[in-house]
Amino acid sequence: MLRDVTFGQYYLTKSFVHSMDARIKLILCLLFMVGIFFVQSFVGFAFVALFLLVAIGFSHVPLGSIVKSIKGIIFLLCLTALLNMFFTKDGNLLVSWWIFEIYDQGLIVAAKMLLRLVFLVMGSSLLTLTTTPVDLTHAIESLLKPLKVIKFPAHELALIMSLTLSFIPGLIEETDRIISAQKARGASFDSGNLIKRAKAFVPILIPLLVGGFRKAEELANAMNSRCYEGSTNRTQMRVMKLSWRDLVGALITVAVFATIFVVYAMRSQWSTITWLYF
Amino acid sequence: MPRAKKIVPTPSVVEPNVAIYADKLTFSYNAKSTSGKRALTDISLTINRGEFVALVGHTGSGKSTFVQHLNALMRLQQGSLNVLGHDLAQKKPNLMQLRKQVGMVFQYPEYQLFADTVLEDVCFGPKNFGVPASEHEQLAKKAIELVGLDFEEVKNKSPFDLSGGEKRRVAFAGVLVSEPQILVLDEPTAGLDPQGKKEILQLVRKLNKEQGVTVIMVSHDMNEVYENADRVIVFRDGCLVYDLPPQQLFRLENEIEDMNLEVPQVAAFCNVLEQAGITLPTCHNVEEVFAALCALKEGSNA
Ligand SMILES: Nc1ncnc2c1ncn2[C@@H]1O[C@H](COP(=O)(O)OP(=O)(O)O)[C@@H](O)[C@H]1O
Ligand SMILES: [Mg+2]
Repeated sequence: MLRDVTFGQYYLTKSFVHSMDARIKLILCLLFMVGIFFVQSFVGFAFVALFLLVAIGFSHVPLGSIVKSIKGIIFLLCLTALLNMFFTKDGNLLVSWWIFEIYDQGLIVAAKMLLRLVFLVMGSSLLTLTTTPVDLTHAIESLLKPLKVIKFPAHELALIMSLTLSFIPGLIEETDRIISAQKARGASFDSGNLIKRAKAFVPILIPLLVGGFRKAEELANAMNSRCYEGSTNRTQMRVMKLSWRDLVGALITVAVFATIFVVYAMRSQWSTITWLYF
Repeated sequence: MPRAKKIVPTPSVVEPNVAIYADKLTFSYNAKSTSGKRALTDISLTINRGEFVALVGHTGSGKSTFVQHLNALMRLQQGSLNVLGHDLAQKKPNLMQLRKQVGMVFQYPEYQLFADTVLEDVCFGPKNFGVPASEHEQLAKKAIELVGLDFEEVKNKSPFDLSGGEKRRVAFAGVLVSEPQILVLDEPTAGLDPQGKKEILQLVRKLNKEQGVTVIMVSHDMNEVYENADRVIVFRDGCLVYDLPPQQLFRLENEIEDMNLEVPQVAAFCNVLEQAGITLPTCHNVEEVFAALCALKEGSNA
């Protein structure tokens, strides 16, 4: 069933992280994503892991939901790890077989890349698990607002995003339905060669596209008939307010990544502290 | 999925005139997680060939889930199910044959049209079921004429250029073209105008009466259920709660209201008459009530 796909879907509960301001969370998440690429050592990764675990703990999201989001990109992870493993030709040769050679540095590079990606996915899914798509789009709109002076359509962009998001569950349901209906007429999607299989998707894609356009048109008509206009100064129904939680959360996160940046910047001066660089 | 164990093969005693036999059929969408609410619980029923059965119940009561078991779109999780001799407890039932024999018209079937021409869309079924290509056009012609469209006029049109009612007929034809023995209809008249409703129901009735097609119709319109069905099965929260001829079922006015169903107008009228001491013979529609009343009047005059 398609609708079992829950990659990073909002997890409804009450927690410290949930009640933080979406704008702050978004900025912190970006900081996290950039910061993770400045982590160079396993000690650093342990430090980030600790931070992540604490954040997850304060979000009341079960660890399982976060781990599930990794499952979605498991193929990508394996591929990256394998490529790094085979194409790094540094350090001592460990194994050599046919055209494959594995060096100890290759293993280390692969492991670090893997950790980086896993943390990246975990961090961003923590954002989407604790922030509703609506809040997220409001946050983006609000953050892009300053760009309005150069005529950047921040509101329109946010509107497109939130409409897209609101269409997804319906489209998934519709896909399920169309697949069932064509199966009932004898369609099968798992037999024949590649071309035959690709062709088998035409009876699904066309009704899906036609339906999508129909719904988009209906929505456009509904908005038009209510005289919707994006350009006027619209106010939000829910006003976003900062609170002490945002301050605390931001301080902790910034402190963590400030440490990481400092260690990165000073790595040549501090090279005598070997444990930092393991 | 924790299948096995709980799936029971159908006993060999199933009679040849039985179209559908279900015993303790249970299904939940999230079979893995324990929180998964059951969509169907212990459904047991037997439907004979040639019956016209209406399936009613509140939204979410499991009607669609049940009917999708009949052509193995949903796989059996617990209990046993036999459809036209296909034992669905088997790991690999003959899906192609089963789906050819069990035609299924989904809600708003016009949203599944995809091909360039009506002819091509209608032939999708026969093509998949391995019917020789030489027979396709003949079958399509028959089906398109059956649903009341002019074959020569529509065959080369794009299905997207047709009106809503015509699209639905084409979608119907795309199912009927495979000449199913069981026809499953999930709210076939939803969103149609009264005339369109009438015509679709007429067609279904004709298939049932003249060609002996077993019909299973999910419907929210109790008037159309009362007029057409031989038997009404009521679902509530995934359980089968009533399985009665409509004339008996709609006597239970309190229970019917309890389940958020309405009593059909003809039945309500007959019930009122009965309370006033006037008992009519079984009537399915207004015309029959009228005829019965006339007969009664003549009888009392004589
Ligand atoms: N794809 C699905 N995944 C999870 N739950 C579902 C799915 N489809 C239906 N359900 C649930 O199963 C129950 C029965 O649904 P359904 O068979 O569609 O009822 P009906 O057709 O009588 O309205 C409902 O509680 C519904 O929420
Ligand atoms: Mg339904």
